[in-house]
Amino acid sequence: MTPILYVLGLTLTTAGVGFLLIAALGVWRLPDVMSRLHALTKADTAGLTLIALGAACLTGRLDTLLALGLCIILVGLSGATMGHLIARTHLSETDSE
Amino acid sequence: MTSDLIYICAGSGLVGLALYRLSTCRDMLLRVLSLNVLAVGVAMLFLASARHAGITDAVPQAFVLTGIVVLVAVTAALLALAERVDGQDDE
Amino acid sequence: MSLAFDILLTIGIFFTAAATLGMRDRVGSVVGFVVAGLLVALSWVRLGAPDVALAEAAIGAGLTGALLLRSSGRLKPVERLISPPSHRFIVALIAAAFAGALAWAVYTASGAALYPALVSERLASSGVTNPVTAVLLNFRAWDTLLEIAVLFAALILVRIVAPAVPQPVALGELMLPFARIIVPMCAFLAGHLLWQGASVPGGAFQAGAMLAGGLLVLMLGGFAAPTPRLMSWGAMLALVGLAVFSLAALGAEVLTGTLLLYPDGTAKFWILGIEAALTLSIAAMLCLLFCGVPRRPLK
Repeated sequence: MTPILYVLGLTLTTAGVGFLLIAALGVWRLPDVMSRLHALTKADTAGLTLIALGAACLTGRLDTLLALGLCIILVGLSGATMGHLIARTHLSETDSE
Repeated sequence: MTSDLIYICAGSGLVGLALYRLSTCRDMLLRVLSLNVLAVGVAMLFLASARHAGITDAVPQAFVLTGIVVLVAVTAALLALAERVDGQDDE
Repeated sequence: MSLAFDILLTIGIFFTAAATLGMRDRVGSVVGFVVAGLLVALSWVRLGAPDVALAEAAIGAGLTGALLLRSSGRLKPVERLISPPSHRFIVALIAAAFAGALAWAVYTASGAALYPALVSERLASSGVTNPVTAVLLNFRAWDTLLEIAVLFAALILVRIVAPAVPQPVALGELMLPFARIIVPMCAFLAGHLLWQGASVPGGAFQAGAMLAGGLLVLMLGGFAAPTPRLMSWGAMLALVGLAVFSLAALGAEVLTGTLLLYPDGTAKFWILGIEAALTLSIAAMLCLLFCGVPRRPLK
């Protein structure tokens, strides 16, 4: 595994962990369900994507990259759908009050 | 302190936590949750003691796998019964 | 380094479980349980049991979380703790003492590991190369047959008790693109997990759980309404697994004289056939455990 790949992997993973920490901070401190959804779907998915890409660089193999790419797609897809469903439910609950 | 000891401590900690909550709570949902946590703790004890020289024994893995599937069946049955009992109290 | 990871992981598991069991909010408890289940799946990987990790993530965290979430909306709220603080203190002491004694007993227990040698010397003739699949479907196939029977017994109980069938509500426009991608992917990944379970971590249970997830997306998204007719097809599919496994057991008895002893050289085909039937059947059973089994009205 070349040093370039190693350094790239470490950088991506560290950046991903930073994004996840920001997402956790956002979910903790933001006041409203809707704004927390922003933190959760955007920062969480971005952090996970960076960590997955970093892990693929650190292992240096192509089949790991494909498997982790599938993970990224699935997490992004389900994250987006979950955010949409939570927002819908929240809106319908607050509208009926 | 090997990693096996860490998982043994974690497993028995989960068992103790689940037993505590099982004995002090009346909510059926929380009891079913404690039962699940109890099973997870026992499984952790199983697998932590199944490691020999870096390789995990296959037979305890099969037991824990069977246990997970049986636990989901038991959880579904318990929840169906709990809903029925709740409906019974209404009548 | 990995020791630090183990310590952090177990601290995370313990505190997530404690938060789950101590929370007032029901939905929060269930979500905490799912999070704890995923962390536990990670700890299974650390303990060298990837098959168990797959099953825990799919069945233990995913499907159990779905079942608990379904019930949390239906069960009536109850006073959480009716025990007075003195009672709770004594129970906490007893539980902590028991946990400590258990940890000490497991740690100091010494025993000869006799299974690994037995499994590895018979693995070549078992038809598969994954030792967990070999143990589940060849060496201890009797246990697996009884496990399917237990699932079936739970299904019978659910049918008798007959909880309400979850009626899907309209979930918006995003469900259709989501289902269009997820459901075929679930079917494809289930087949992949089933096939590769012979040599790498995978197998019938994990594949069945993934297929059940796809079917639940279909049902809860409103694309396949839980009509009684559809669910009786599901019940028949659930029976198929138990029937195929029992027939295979009896067939092996007829062919070789011992229950579930596969004839020499053909073990691979027996295992694959049983696993295929088991995958479909487990998917149907898990879905029916979630939806409830329909009762035909007495005429």
